[in-house]
Amino acid sequence: MNSRPLSIPVILGTTRKGRMSAHAAHFMLGQIEKRDGIRTELIDISKLPMPVDDAGEGIKDPLFSEKMVMADALVIVTPEYNHSFPGLLKHILDSCLKEYIHKAAGIVGVSAGPFGGVRVIQDLIPVIRELGLVNIFWDVNFGNVSKVFDESGNLLDEAFVSRADKFLNELIWMAKTLRYGRDNIALDS
Amino acid sequence: MAKQKTKMICPHCGAAMNHHADKLVYPTSTEDSKKMNTALGGVIAEIHCCPGCGALESRGGGE
Repeated sequence: MNSRPLSIPVILGTTRKGRMSAHAAHFMLGQIEKRDGIRTELIDISKLPMPVDDAGEGIKDPLFSEKMVMADALVIVTPEYNHSFPGLLKHILDSCLKEYIHKAAGIVGVSAGPFGGVRVIQDLIPVIRELGLVNIFWDVNFGNVSKVFDESGNLLDEAFVSRADKFLNELIWMAKTLRYGRDNIALDS
Repeated sequence: MAKQKTKMICPHCGAAMNHHADKLVYPTSTEDSKKMNTALGGVIAEIHCCPGCGALESRGGGE
């Protein structure tokens, strides 16, 4: 296996002002940073150039594309808006394709109500699959998010540390396995 | 028997790349539609990865 450190960026998938998902994204980023041998960074979609006069690979941002090329796995933090994902998250995800193939993805759902984004996760999984990403079977669900973090983003419920740990264990296993496959296992053709 | 295709060479580090996936891509223009494999419902893109530096490349799969 090659010696490059794994790259697992965290995508903050909303542009809404006052978004509580930012706290969840920073928390996940901090949990990844505690692990050796993994590079991570926050990709805030509100900071990306996002034209709306075209779509798909027609709006590809070279910098975002490069980050996706180098990524071995993605942590996608998404709030649930009207039972689904923010349209701009889909808009930016659709801007790449080959960059995602055979890479791992884990979804972190965030909601103001009690369900922790379970509906947005169910909605996002078919999109992830079509993009060529491989979704893991662990999620992190931040329900009642205003009670999980204080206004400064400090975690109020320590149970999320062990949940994030399980999620990241699986994501990293999948990222390593898929990297080995991308590098070494040829498609029969 | 499957025909052998030329391995892609990584434009960044020169290593032989691994063809690890064929992805069906849906046409988004009239021009793309002309290349569509009607049996599959899209165009095949071969996805290649460089084991040396992690670079990705793709090329038309043709079938």
